[in-house]
Amino acid sequence: MKALDGLDPAFEHRARLAIAVLLARHGEISFARFKQELALTDGNLGAQLRRLEDDGYLALRRDFVDRKPVTWYALSKPGRKALDTHLSALRAVIAASGA
Amino acid sequence: MTKTEQLQRDLDYIAGAVRRRDQAVGIPALYLFWAAAVLVGFASADFAPRITGLYWFVVGIGGGLFSWWMGERDDRRRGIRDQALGRRYGLHWLLAGVAYFLTGLPMFVHGPSPDAASAFLLTTGIVYGLAGVHLDRPLLWCGLLAFAGYIALVALSLAYAWTITGVLIAACLVLAAVFAARVRTAATPQ
Repeated sequence: MKALDGLDPAFEHRARLAIAVLLARHGEISFARFKQELALTDGNLGAQLRRLEDDGYLALRRDFVDRKPVTWYALSKPGRKALDTHLSALRAVIAASGA
Repeated sequence: MTKTEQLQRDLDYIAGAVRRRDQAVGIPALYLFWAAAVLVGFASADFAPRITGLYWFVVGIGGGLFSWWMGERDDRRRGIRDQALGRRYGLHWLLAGVAYFLTGLPMFVHGPSPDAASAFLLTTGIVYGLAGVHLDRPLLWCGLLAFAGYIALVALSLAYAWTITGVLIAACLVLAAVFAARVRTAATPQ
């Protein structure tokens, strides 16, 4: 199926897709907030974020809130473009399956 | 599990995460601040009308800046910095400030009048009602109460209508604070 070619392996894991969708909607989100929203362990969440970061889909910013270090994540331009492409491919897959 | 079922589960998981983020309820401390500000400001229109204009000039601008600072602080503490939403809040309350200024313009030009004063309640109803529709749902009830106060002021000519309306809006804001605090407590992981 041609639509399958548009699917991005970086977004095949549901947590990574959820991270990208949340960032596309809300701009910047901290590590702790992701952990709460997605109900993932530190290790699992860290690994999924690192994967997206390695692909150049995430932009990082470090900050202090109430004297505690906080890492903020945002979707980079390539990340936003890749997400749009992936979601279009997903729609095509669902349409082709007749769901 | 088939590929389609797996896909369906993944999409449900993502939709669930996105929906959780859609529950905007506001900041409890801010509701309490504005409850106190509204109570004093509205009562002053009945008991000390000469200071009402100055009071709202100071508290309106100061409270607006305080609300902006609190919003920023809350975003940082909760771990979400939604600039698009922040711009929407800013634009709404900036337009609200302009609307209040224009509502008061006839009073500045032609002097105080009960008709011009009651128009402030109508503006409050529109500003809070639309904030309830587009931003924080609990504010919708405050807007509807302001409309009721406007009707009481214009049609029924009730004594102390400003104070009564102020008390009702303040009570509504306190209830909004309690509601927001409960929702936030429920959303906090144990």
